[in-house]
Amino acid sequence: MTYQIADEPIETSLRAYVVRPSTPLLAIMLCGAWLAWPWFAFNAIAMGSPTRRKEIALCVAAFAGTALLAALVIALARSGVLPPGAPEKIGLLVVRTFKLTITYYISTVQDRTFHVYEYYGGPVRGAGWVLSAGYWVRGLVIGVSDDPLWIIIVAGGAGGVAGL
Amino acid sequence: MEDRQVTVLLEQAEVQRRLGNLRQATELAQRALTIDPDHAWAHAALAFILLDTRRVRAAAIEVRAALALDGNDPHIHHVAASVMVAERKLEDAWAHCLIALEGPVVEPGAYVLGARIRDLQGDPARARELLNEALALDADYTDALTQLARLELAAGDKDRAAELIERALTSDPADRRAHVIAGYIDLARGDTASAEQHARFVLNQIATDEGGLELWAAIQARRSWLLGAWWRWHMWMSLGDDRRRIALLIGGFVVAQLAIIIADELDLDAASRVVSLAWLGLCAYTWFAPEMFRRMLARSLGTVRLDPDF
Repeated sequence: MTYQIADEPIETSLRAYVVRPSTPLLAIMLCGAWLAWPWFAFNAIAMGSPTRRKEIALCVAAFAGTALLAALVIALARSGVLPPGAPEKIGLLVVRTFKLTITYYISTVQDRTFHVYEYYGGPVRGAGWVLSAGYWVRGLVIGVSDDPLWIIIVAGGAGGVAGL
Repeated sequence: MEDRQVTVLLEQAEVQRRLGNLRQATELAQRALTIDPDHAWAHAALAFILLDTRRVRAAAIEVRAALALDGNDPHIHHVAASVMVAERKLEDAWAHCLIALEGPVVEPGAYVLGARIRDLQGDPARARELLNEALALDADYTDALTQLARLELAAGDKDRAAELIERALTSDPADRRAHVIAGYIDLARGDTASAEQHARFVLNQIATDEGGLELWAAIQARRSWLLGAWWRWHMWMSLGDDRRRIALLIGGFVVAQLAIIIADELDLDAASRVVSLAWLGLCAYTWFAPEMFRRMLARSLGTVRLDPDF
């Protein structure tokens, strides 16, 4: 057994499914958070990332944080604190900014391991077909419920929310 | 027997590190640590190699392990100081460097590292003293000559800087940092063509060498400030960590979205569309910028030919 360096990925049986962290990052823009965050978590496990616990925790925090912020914005909108128009849009912008920031952060954390993974010759798979499939089924996923909370959480931003 | 094996592996690792075969060097140091995981020097050697591959976090863990195993070894404090400079923990780096400098046998490298830290802390006078101490130990020490040349150039003494860098390049003709400083001296003397040769020499060795790229940008800026600004912007976007790009994108996103909300409120549809397009353009640009930069660099370097006697 060779001495393990702290940032060195461990061997896993899922290495054939590893993608560049920029792919799930692109997925949040094209398909939505429903695909991007679970994909980041899967990629961390497949890569054998030494920071996989952190990456998975960040993905969970992304869902939980978005749900919490979205629920707050919806409650404020429904109670009249955020009237329709610019105030409501700014409220939604806060949620979208949170989603974008945490997604970039997860991508940055995963990128560090990915560079080391690539350095050691780990295989990397193209995932254009997953992105394409995700793009086509996103309507179905977002359409599962017309509750604005659901739409805000799973969509790429807060797109598709007709009113709070 | 084990100790002898570890020593041989570490010697081989150091040779490979100096040759720039960092992957091989890493594997050799790992093999040494597999044989003896409690070998303080092996942890320090691995930290030094990891530092060269920019794996700063892993290097910090290795050097902490080395310090825990032997907190009195000046060489390990030297490595710790190097790691902390990379982490930009200059106070801690200086504290470790002082311990390294108090050892029974001080290597010139420890003085050069100390000079680098003092210079980063804004004390070029002390940096100069330390470099002269390094040169008192070894008059041809390339790193010391190069750093001193850089300080002299910064102080405006181009002739002294040129004299020092000539000595550095005589001592080690392949030293990248010396070539970068030589390039800056040429630029200061108005010899752009010669500066370009130095930059190309460096970038042909390591295409991502930050010093080489900065010199290249400075050369382009000499031709046209617009070209220079373009290069610097690309470097800023393409090098270093991703925090810059994230900050730029998040900042751009918030500004663009606020502008769209305001434009919508004021019924300025055209303005809203322009902002949306500009935002999309920025997203696309940040996505492709690193690749564009690499291609642009490769194309530019391809146009420069080294003199046969360079």
